[in-house]
Amino acid sequence: MSDFSEELIRSKTEDDKEESCVFSGTGMSFPWLQKHIGTVETGGKKEKDFAQTTSACLGFIQEALLKHQWQQAADYMHSYFQILEDSDTHKRQAAPEIIWKLGSEILFYHPKSSVETFNTFADRMKNIGVMNYLKISLQHALYLLHHGMLEDANRNLSHAETWRYGEKSSSQEVLINLIQAYKGLLQYYTWSKKKMELSTLDEDDYAYNTASQNMFDHSWKTSVNLRALIQTPGIWDPFVKSYVEMLEFYGDQDGAREVLTNYAYDEKFPSNPNAHIYLYNFLKREKAPREKLISVLKILYQIVPSHKLMLEFHRLLRKSEKEDHHKLGLEVLFGVLDFAGCTKNITAWKYLAKYLRQTLMGNHLAWVQEEWNSRKNWWPSFHFSSFWAKSDWKEDKALACEKALVAGLLLGKGCRYFRFISKQDDQVLRKKIKQIKKSVKKHSVVNPGL
Amino acid sequence: MDFPSSLQPTLFMTGPLGLSNVPDMSFMCSWRDALTLPESLPKNSENGAPHLSTGLLWEPETPGPLPLLPPSPDPWDPGVTAQDLLFRGGFTFRRKPQAVLDVTEQLSRFLWDHGDIAFAPLGKLMLENFKLEGAQSRSKKKTVVSVKRLLQDLGGHQPWGCPWAFLSFRQRRFSILGGPVLGKSVANLLGELLHEELAMRWEQLLLDDAFTGGALAWVPGRTAQVGQLVYPAGGALDKLRFQEVSLTPGGDPQALGDPGHIQLRGPVRQVVTCTVQGESLLAVRSDYHCALWKVSKQGRPTPLQVLQVGKGATGISLSPHLPGELAVCSRSGTVCLWTPQDGLQQVYKDPETLVFCDPSSWRWADFTAHPRVLTVGDRTGVKMIDAQGPPGCGLLLFRGGAEASCQKGERVLLTQYLGECGPKSLHPTLHLICTQFSLYLVDERLPLVPMLKWNHDLPSAPLWAQLLPPPRPGCPQPLLLGGQGGHLQLLHLAGEGASAPRLAGPPQSLPSSSDSLSAFPLLEPKSQWRLQERLKAPTIGLVATIPSSASEPVLSLFQLSAAGDVFHQRLRLQAGPGPNSCASTASWTPQATACCSRWLKDLLKVPPAPPVWAAPTFSHRRLLGRMEQREVEPKGPEALRAAMAEGRLLRQRDLGSLPSAEPPPAPEPGPEDELSTRLEAAWEGQMAAWWERQQGRSSGPGRQPKRRKRRTQLSSTFSSLSGRLDLSDATSPPHSPDRASPEARPQPPVTPPSQESTQELWAQGVPSERQQTLRDYMARLPLQKDTPRGVSLPLSQTSSIRATPSRPQTLPDGTAELPPRRNTLRGAAMSSSQTSSIRATPSRQQAPVLSGSQPHRKKPRMGF
Repeated sequence: MSDFSEELIRSKTEDDKEESCVFSGTGMSFPWLQKHIGTVETGGKKEKDFAQTTSACLGFIQEALLKHQWQQAADYMHSYFQILEDSDTHKRQAAPEIIWKLGSEILFYHPKSSVETFNTFADRMKNIGVMNYLKISLQHALYLLHHGMLEDANRNLSHAETWRYGEKSSSQEVLINLIQAYKGLLQYYTWSKKKMELSTLDEDDYAYNTASQNMFDHSWKTSVNLRALIQTPGIWDPFVKSYVEMLEFYGDQDGAREVLTNYAYDEKFPSNPNAHIYLYNFLKREKAPREKLISVLKILYQIVPSHKLMLEFHRLLRKSEKEDHHKLGLEVLFGVLDFAGCTKNITAWKYLAKYLRQTLMGNHLAWVQEEWNSRKNWWPSFHFSSFWAKSDWKEDKALACEKALVAGLLLGKGCRYFRFISKQDDQVLRKKIKQIKKSVKKHSVVNPGL
Repeated sequence: MDFPSSLQPTLFMTGPLGLSNVPDMSFMCSWRDALTLPESLPKNSENGAPHLSTGLLWEPETPGPLPLLPPSPDPWDPGVTAQDLLFRGGFTFRRKPQAVLDVTEQLSRFLWDHGDIAFAPLGKLMLENFKLEGAQSRSKKKTVVSVKRLLQDLGGHQPWGCPWAFLSFRQRRFSILGGPVLGKSVANLLGELLHEELAMRWEQLLLDDAFTGGALAWVPGRTAQVGQLVYPAGGALDKLRFQEVSLTPGGDPQALGDPGHIQLRGPVRQVVTCTVQGESLLAVRSDYHCALWKVSKQGRPTPLQVLQVGKGATGISLSPHLPGELAVCSRSGTVCLWTPQDGLQQVYKDPETLVFCDPSSWRWADFTAHPRVLTVGDRTGVKMIDAQGPPGCGLLLFRGGAEASCQKGERVLLTQYLGECGPKSLHPTLHLICTQFSLYLVDERLPLVPMLKWNHDLPSAPLWAQLLPPPRPGCPQPLLLGGQGGHLQLLHLAGEGASAPRLAGPPQSLPSSSDSLSAFPLLEPKSQWRLQERLKAPTIGLVATIPSSASEPVLSLFQLSAAGDVFHQRLRLQAGPGPNSCASTASWTPQATACCSRWLKDLLKVPPAPPVWAAPTFSHRRLLGRMEQREVEPKGPEALRAAMAEGRLLRQRDLGSLPSAEPPPAPEPGPEDELSTRLEAAWEGQMAAWWERQQGRSSGPGRQPKRRKRRTQLSSTFSSLSGRLDLSDATSPPHSPDRASPEARPQPPVTPPSQESTQELWAQGVPSERQQTLRDYMARLPLQKDTPRGVSLPLSQTSSIRATPSRPQTLPDGTAELPPRRNTLRGAAMSSSQTSSIRATPSRQQAPVLSGSQPHRKKPRMGF
């Protein structure tokens, strides 16, 4: 292609990519600076007519897209193609990406667009210039995948996988890894389909053997495809999940553990809660010792103390023999209930009410006080205000009872929440409320002497 | 709480902004988010059709927002624009446009317009070097300059630094004497300050972050249909208004009754409301103060607390968890938490920015899902800090860098906690972060990696955002994003429970108030321009609400402009997805146009903003008196000028009866049209006869005393200034050594004896102080064919010129409001054209003398 050399030059001077944004003294760039400058008439040369019309056209396309006028946008797009012949090399080279972005969006939403139209467009765009081949191929494959055309998607990815241009740059490598990983994912889909079929077949059947052989081939190919990307720092949840599933299926527990451990503990990776969750679930499936499970969840507790697994963590800690685990169990419960999204979690309140009583009965007042000290100035208004007493009682009486017990234990019987609930006269809960009153009287933190 | 079971694949890179060789994972477009990877294959392959909510569209009821309240009675001025600040010079168009602050022009304008301020102190300092009175400086001291002469010299020249103007000896001396003092000290002192000011204004024009968060709030009332809009009003935005508004499901919102108001002692920059545990709170941020009110169920505010922020407050936010709690951040980099129990508590302090060095002192703070953890943001990133933890520790939530694949020059403009909206809504751990390019959704449980990134492409700074509850159960939540220029975008966010947040359907843009122009009747240009300016006024607040009771969800959107106007628009959720439903376009209803007309009528009653400054009309011309006193002023032009000065239309009644001499290009010239008659005469070869006639007329009884009177006037003005006129200069030959460019004159001017002899004659109509100038010009002319008659001719000609053209000179008197630059310009143009006409006279007037039919008749026009 004739503009290959131009593109090479362009890739070298990548840093002048930002055309419309200019920096002021602070180093900040303003996309609307051009508009301001445009209002000041300059005596010099004006922008060329061609540039003016193309930029106006681009504006119209964007406007139409934001108004969901797909047909209008398509009409403007038709005219915008002229930018591919801009005499300004810089603009001409930036154009394919813009055209692809806008064009694919139009075709994705246009009511009259079909997969065939999209395919044609994508194939044409891939070959205008060389810099966008991989990106467009990947998105094209995702589009096909979305429309359920797995085979076409796979073919597309296979084409892209073998594509090379010039020296293999790091960005190209990442993209190729990504493409291979998606291909691996597609193979995983086929594999899991086969697995489903296999489960219906009899083990002694001849067909079973061929099918399992087939599956094995797939898994081998897939593992090759997925492994490279998983090593790169990033969030690769779907890939890791499917890879581990396949490894587990073939009994490669060590391999799976290694992948998951690496994904969770490699410092170059972002602290993805899912990595720890996957590892925990894997260890649980493996029936790993409790100690091990606790150590995994301890890290998750540090990252996401509000996660629903924390209740499971609490159960594990409660069952543990160690004293400091028992203490941590209390901390975990308080931690969960700190969060706005968990205030109505009845299980957490139930656990806390029960465990709080247990702890106080076990003469661990210091633990409770340690947790309570940092919360005593805001939990009362956050959880135990009279507003919540009324609304909880109205919405969920069981929750209100649990909370009332906790409130009574922590704040004493003078607490508004406790008082409100204890005054309620409910046929069903009368017994329970009586129990709560008794517990509070006996174990409340506020008057431990009584 | 649930965490999304599987997140979108994302590459994670650490590094600075604009790291170029990272494959930008956000290259995918808005439909990328629609492409969630299928959890299990069979599910997807079965329903192959895209299960997208493509039909999700909020259809505006009118093509643009409508005014809700009458315009504020205070005049509004758009203030400084780019045109005022930027260099207009002729640099060529570049790929990378550059903004160049025009300090030079501003400085020179300042010197011209406010010369008294700029130079008076210096003048006082140099008083001993000036001789203000007396004829000639007989002093031996070369350091004393006669002001009168100087002014005389200056008077003859183009004021705008005409490159061909020559310097007189005195001017040279003056500039050598005064140059170091006048040039350097004024320029240095002023220039520095001016540059600083201009740079600041320019920054402010590009991004005015004072109103970040918005100064308009909606306090819900007893029912879903009634609420209060709280917003600042008044020219200084220092009146906090409470306007009750009812939202009827069928029609437009109605303002109920007159608004109540609270007078504050500072402009309101941000108004925040929050209803926690049934208690509505209202927090207001001014430049140096913050205040908190509690709003009762009846809508009455009771003050709770006022905080003073010494370094200036940049952001205030109310806790969505605990009633009465708020976070305030200041320019010093301090974040404080105010609670009813503990009072003010400093939570964080760091004058430095978080990620990299940025000069902006803008800080922001908001709450998170944990009531004791706050986010602290600046232009470079956002950090989560524990109010109870040890100071200095925290976790970066967002980093301006490669982690979020930020562009070069990208900066955080707004961060907002998108708290809980309902039971079936987005995760209550999401934070919205807006930069000038993109919008990021970050989950506080997974810091640094945005869950969603979308390139919003807003043409102005996005400073307002609001997440609304789902309009219908199961519908995605609308997120409203507003730019400073009034640009609005609406995004649909989906993703609850175990799924990651994503965009549901393509985002849409909403009409801005400048789209409403078509609803207003067409006006005369001046008012039309004013209306346009008013509609284009930057937005300073934005709030939306969806009254839930209506069967069909309606979104009511309110917008507050910097001019103090509140606009509203209603949007309806499109019923069903379909290609045709998108095509429908709203049109103006008669009620809407009537509403606009009413509003416009009120707007036009508002007096226009007074000019920012009025330049002094002082000039040396006045000091020297009227050189050219005007004759009787025709009424028309004066009225025109008055109309121009006041900026109104010129009407027939201003003019009275038009003078018959004035009609614009009339086929039949009026009786007074001297030029035409003269041309006619010349054409017919009867120039001499015309001349005779003319002379007879000008020497008639009507003219003579008038001219004499003028001269006496002139001399009296002069006598007040300099005692007596000296003609010593006039006797000296014009080839004095103070001529800067002798080569400009081809021949050493030998004053023709005829001219000397007739000096008295031609000098008759010219004030004596101008005679020298006149003579200089005469001398420069190539007078090859001088004849005594040729010299005698210009006399009357000049007199006739002098008699007529004094009209433009009246301008400085008539219109004091006009900037004097224009006056001086006009005056200068006048004097130059006069001199040129005088200069041209001798050669021109030969034509009728030598031969009546000389083909020179077109030329005289030039002189006039």
